[in-house]
Amino acid sequence: MKKLELIKIVITVLLCSLLVVPIILSNHSWPTHARNYLLANAQSDTGATNTVSAIYLGYRAMDTLGETLVLLVSVTGTMAILVKLGKEQTDEETTSFSLTPEKRPTNRLRTHLLETVASKLGPIVLLFGFYVMLYGHISPGGGFQGGVIVASAIVFLALGTEVKSKLTSTFVLSRIESLSFLLLILASISGVFFESGFFGNPIKSASSLSANFIILLNIIIGLKVGTSIAVMCIAMMGGSHDH
Amino acid sequence: MIIERILIALLFLSGFAAIVGMRNIIKKIFGLNLLNASVVLLFILEGSRIGNQAPILDADITNMVDPIPQALMLTAIVIGVCVSALSLALAVRLYKATGSLDIQVITERLQREH
Repeated sequence: MKKLELIKIVITVLLCSLLVVPIILSNHSWPTHARNYLLANAQSDTGATNTVSAIYLGYRAMDTLGETLVLLVSVTGTMAILVKLGKEQTDEETTSFSLTPEKRPTNRLRTHLLETVASKLGPIVLLFGFYVMLYGHISPGGGFQGGVIVASAIVFLALGTEVKSKLTSTFVLSRIESLSFLLLILASISGVFFESGFFGNPIKSASSLSANFIILLNIIIGLKVGTSIAVMCIAMMGGSHDH
Repeated sequence: MIIERILIALLFLSGFAAIVGMRNIIKKIFGLNLLNASVVLLFILEGSRIGNQAPILDADITNMVDPIPQALMLTAIVIGVCVSALSLALAVRLYKATGSLDIQVITERLQREH
């Protein structure tokens, strides 16, 4: 029985490798037209020096809207599944590590060391996340990357106990998320009223900063991604944290 | 160039083998993540074949890599996070409902209930 299963698995993997390995190993030359076009035109078309940002917020901003929708659906599904479980009853016990006997939730993943270090790291990581988010148009980074760093900073703040922050409550985070999605939709249709089309830049001539619309979209998407992933992580850590 | 491709193929196949062969559903979800990572690496490798500079338009840039696979993989990474979060939540739910993470035990217990 056991041996038969193993043979079945090996045959399945071999069949899959017959399909996939030729694609991975193929040495077909990569086309250079798109690269050459972007090298010549990306900065004048969108204003961003970072061509990756120029693609996903300039040329293909529609894809980014769809991607944030997928993220929204995934967060909604995760929260719906996890909230239905209800809050687990955690027993309190005295820890042997503390100087004065204190009651703590019995969660072996939370130690004094982790709580102290995480709450001191949180604000620094938050600042770095906003840096990556705001400078996404001229340096490696952008809304998604900065948003994920912001999310990890919020998880640090939720793990720690020294810094108390409203940012770690799922109520505040989900409000920020909804607001930033509303802002994204408003920004996407604002170009229609200024004769530049859906996701067109409405403030192209208004400012000397050429990448203004990309910076705006980077900030909105960073807030959206950061709060969504932070909400999911905090929900998986057991609902709103308990200080 | 060929050694990277062989390693990516091995990563892909190990992820696929984890999905097919492992009985623990958490390990299956790890297999999904491995598949996602191998596809991301393959696209980045393909895009980097026509250049050797980061795709940021400075003054002295002449031979940059193709930025399109990088922009595509940005999407794929976020979708991968969504998929793993949703599937981990489902795994937690299944564990709460049946008391096991083994896919065969879960099937047996769910069949016994009906």
